[in-house]
Amino acid sequence: MVPERRRPPEASSKSSCSMMSESPRNRKPDLPFAPFDSTNLWCGDRHGRSFLEFSPPLVTQSSGLFGPDRETKSKKQHEPSPVDDPVMDWNPRLMLSNLSFLEQKIHQVQDIVRSIISHEDQFLDQANELAAQQQLVTADLTYIIIQLISTAGTLLPDIKNALLSTNPAVGRPGSNQKQHEILPVEVAKASQYDSLVKDLNSCGGNEDELIKCSNNSGVDASEPIPIEDHDTKDNDDGMDGENLPPGSYEVLQLEEEEILAPHTHFCLICGKGFKRDANLRMHMRGHGDEYKSPAALAKPSKEASIEPQPLRRYSCPFVGCKRNKEHKKFQPLKTILCVKNHYKRSHCDKSYTCSRCRTKKFSIIADLKTHEKHCGRDKWICSCGTTFSRKDKLFGHVALFQGHAPAIPMDDAKVLVTSDKAQVSEASSGMPGNMGYNFSGNTSLDAQSPDIKGVDDGHGCFSPMTLDACNIWGLAEFPHSAYEVSESTFSFLATGSCSSIQRNGEN
Amino acid sequence: MERAPQQSSDSILATLSVDLLIQILDRVADSRDRKSWRQVCRGFLHAEALRRRSLRVLRLEALQGLLRRYAACLERLDLSACPSLDDHALAAALAAGAGLWRLRSINLSRASGVGWRGLAALAKVCPHLEAVDLSHCVGVGDREAASLAAAAGLRDLWLDKCLGLTDVGLAKVAVGCPALEMLGIKWCLEISDIGIELLAKKCQNLRVLDISYLKITNRSLQFVSSLRKLEDLSMVGCSHINDEGLQFLNNGSNSLQSVDVSRCENVTSSGIISVIEGHKYLQDLNIGDCFPELAPLFLSKLNYLRDSLTVLKLDGFQVFAPSLKIIGLNCRNLVEIGLSKCKWVTDEGVSELVAGCVNLTTIDLTCCHLLTNKALVAIGDKCKNLTCLQLESCKLITDNGLDCIGTCCSNLEEIDLTDCTMTNAAMKYLSRCSELTVLKLGLCDKVSDEGLVHIASNCKKLRVLDLYRCFEVTDDGLAAIATGCKRIKNLNLCYCTRITDLGLKHLSCLEDLHDLELRGVHCVTSLGITAIANGCQHLTELDLKHCHLVDDAGLFALGQYTKNLRQANLSYCQVSSMGLCNLLGSLKCLQDVKLVHLTQVPVEGFESALRASGGRLKKLKLLTGLRHLLSPGLIQMLQARGCRIRWVDKPLNLVP
Repeated sequence: MVPERRRPPEASSKSSCSMMSESPRNRKPDLPFAPFDSTNLWCGDRHGRSFLEFSPPLVTQSSGLFGPDRETKSKKQHEPSPVDDPVMDWNPRLMLSNLSFLEQKIHQVQDIVRSIISHEDQFLDQANELAAQQQLVTADLTYIIIQLISTAGTLLPDIKNALLSTNPAVGRPGSNQKQHEILPVEVAKASQYDSLVKDLNSCGGNEDELIKCSNNSGVDASEPIPIEDHDTKDNDDGMDGENLPPGSYEVLQLEEEEILAPHTHFCLICGKGFKRDANLRMHMRGHGDEYKSPAALAKPSKEASIEPQPLRRYSCPFVGCKRNKEHKKFQPLKTILCVKNHYKRSHCDKSYTCSRCRTKKFSIIADLKTHEKHCGRDKWICSCGTTFSRKDKLFGHVALFQGHAPAIPMDDAKVLVTSDKAQVSEASSGMPGNMGYNFSGNTSLDAQSPDIKGVDDGHGCFSPMTLDACNIWGLAEFPHSAYEVSESTFSFLATGSCSSIQRNGEN
Repeated sequence: MERAPQQSSDSILATLSVDLLIQILDRVADSRDRKSWRQVCRGFLHAEALRRRSLRVLRLEALQGLLRRYAACLERLDLSACPSLDDHALAAALAAGAGLWRLRSINLSRASGVGWRGLAALAKVCPHLEAVDLSHCVGVGDREAASLAAAAGLRDLWLDKCLGLTDVGLAKVAVGCPALEMLGIKWCLEISDIGIELLAKKCQNLRVLDISYLKITNRSLQFVSSLRKLEDLSMVGCSHINDEGLQFLNNGSNSLQSVDVSRCENVTSSGIISVIEGHKYLQDLNIGDCFPELAPLFLSKLNYLRDSLTVLKLDGFQVFAPSLKIIGLNCRNLVEIGLSKCKWVTDEGVSELVAGCVNLTTIDLTCCHLLTNKALVAIGDKCKNLTCLQLESCKLITDNGLDCIGTCCSNLEEIDLTDCTMTNAAMKYLSRCSELTVLKLGLCDKVSDEGLVHIASNCKKLRVLDLYRCFEVTDDGLAAIATGCKRIKNLNLCYCTRITDLGLKHLSCLEDLHDLELRGVHCVTSLGITAIANGCQHLTELDLKHCHLVDDAGLFALGQYTKNLRQANLSYCQVSSMGLCNLLGSLKCLQDVKLVHLTQVPVEGFESALRASGGRLKKLKLLTGLRHLLSPGLIQMLQARGCRIRWVDKPLNLVP
């Protein structure tokens, strides 16, 4: 099932790659390993791409956008070693174009909200669609916020530097993540903006630690995809079993974007994302001989691990959750992996539906796979009609009740017929069923898709990425792709360079 | 039937009422006498039918008529000799006595044609059913077990080698038959811990449980240990069970009297010790082929069982003299000891053992190569009640050793001297044992007619005689046996090459003969076979392999007279298609035939003969070459009727 699910994204990534293959190639020789410089670059680049790709009417504007890009390039030729250099070179023209783009974007969101209002009656009976629309809006808003922040980040180098030096990771007042979602257009309030920047910057400051942690967890799980690890399931949702006194450990709270990010390591040159630092370093070798040196390939966390690390535990960003540090009976999560699984299981939509029973839903694909191993297969039936997925459970039941006995499949015609039917339905669903199994409420979303398209057509380039993603990979991936946009907040600040389109494709 | 005797019998009936006849009948024990009784007159037959409680049916075609006569009183029915029984036949037979059945026990062993429909009919018609034997019905599975579970009063159930049986079927039985006391599920390989757990929870009355060769683990024993009434536990060859599992039996909550853990390769003496500690009244302990060495602690623990232990089997252990001494001291009530393949057993050890255990009746010393006459002298000296002595391959033993045995152990019933260097003198000593029923002299090539004359002179009760490769034996010896030992049932004369038709003619007066092996007796012709067929009409097994002179005439005789013949080996005989067709067509009980290298029979002959057998065959041995020559339809038909065909690829070797 996985390959089938992945194929469309790959295809899309290919297409997107081919479309913008020139720009990274052009930049390659002179693009340095500079997080803050590249933010600037990336912003422009990113806009350019989105316009180029999805909004033919705005091509003129996008070509204008490339102007500043080239300018920065020429500038950088004078500064060949900008690593860790905090000096910001900001371009007012670029800024202006950014802002005008943002303005446009906000209008689009307004439109979509209006359309939601006008279709309210329709949505009443189709809650799914409404939710999808809301997610669409949320995604776009998040995108706008990111753009805003990135733009502002270039404007306010002083704040950034000051905050970076203090590294306020521990004990910061509760998450502002909610604000990202709640504050829509009036984000521009100064105080909130400040705190936002603070947050995001602090995340940037913590980046090393984060990566380290996720590296560790990756090693522990000894699986290339830490998210799909099952073993931690008991650990993170149940009790931890350890009773650490409250002060004895350091509490770290990741933001939603960080938690949901599929990748935590990004190539500064081409923007490709990776789950592991080591994989990134392997990838970097392709960008030039300087990345092939033993020093560049060495594990960066080694020195840090020699120093005694304080015991670190994690808090869930969801306020009110028992795993949130504000909770009275706060129970910390052990590893980043625990955080990821906990957050997805407890606070995210369960978008993966079992194709067999069509009732069980999961937010983690590994959980779905575990369930599907047992669902529908080897049905163990008692003479009283109760069904069990496991033989020992059935036998426990039989032992408990007087007169109950396991039923033999052929025992009564009914069971036979139903099982046959099940097989038939399985067979008939065949490939398309498999393709669509993880797209919850496939049909309802299909019905809804014309609406979205209508909006799209009517208003030009509105949120092209999300829509594109939806149309290509199936609609139930919706919430996922919506989050993906918001992830870019994290990724962008973490490494300073990234292309969310490519990540979409790579996912 | 003549008129005069009938009248007289009528007069007898006038004076003797039916209940008096039954009283008389109760005093007629022997089955042959009873047969004569039945043939006297209708009145006698009727009285016998009223009295009859058990019936073993030899031929399926007679089943319906027999059941019609006996249905009302019959309690035990044995159909194991009718493997071609199927659902239809069983249901029809049961319908004969519908509403009358008082059947308590039925033996359907090897009746692989019986399925769930037949068993469901059985459970429905016979409400008093208590015991069912379905062992070796390889087709029996969960469905059949579910049908059987309708017989709620079931107490004994044997399901050995019911290969289709899984935990589900076992659960059906456990839930449906809570009164179960004896259960055998040996070789039911699909059964796991889960099934055993449920069984132990539902059937608390289990007394006898056979879980040999199952893939169960220690967990099962945990639940088995909760069966309070359990007396007999067999778990031969349960390789997943180890000492930890046996420790569950340490709590003594069972009533275990007999434990068999032989061939459990992961069990060591510490596990056995925990069993011993938990059960003071253990009588029967079989730990053969588990672990090679006897730990001193185990030997001292035997003291716990001083009063109770009667049977101890230590096959394959390294048992030295001191160990046997301790056993002799600790187990004074021992009746049976098994020391087969214990290669370090010496005369000294046996002497020490029998000095303590004077009650021993069965001693198995198979392959104890170091033993000499001294050991036999010690045994004869101490064990006056000896009934069974196994001495196969004890090559150092000579005639003089048996002198003592023959003199002192007058109750001896069974002795195995296979591959020992015995001569006629030994036979003379043994002939003193008038109770002898089993005598095995295989490979004792110095035993001749003279020895057999000695045996025949006094051992009137002999039932089994094995003369495998006793080349010296001739027709005269057989004549002596035939006159002296009238009750011989099994006779092995393989490769006694000096035997001719005359010897077989002598043997033909053995009415009880069931099993005759004449492999490689190449002087025998159809004449001798005809004599045997004529005289020994109970013959069920006959081996004529390499009897090159036997031709169609012999087969015609067999087809005509030995109606109960079930197994026949005709390989290398000079029979033609006609004889083969006749034999396979006329013998209704034939199940197992070996037809390798019948050079005179063409493919068409095989084809028609096998078609004539009408699907009664269960086992068939043929040359591989025929596999593609016989019509596929025929092979399919045979296999569909439950016949297993073994294709062999052997060169034609006329010299045995």
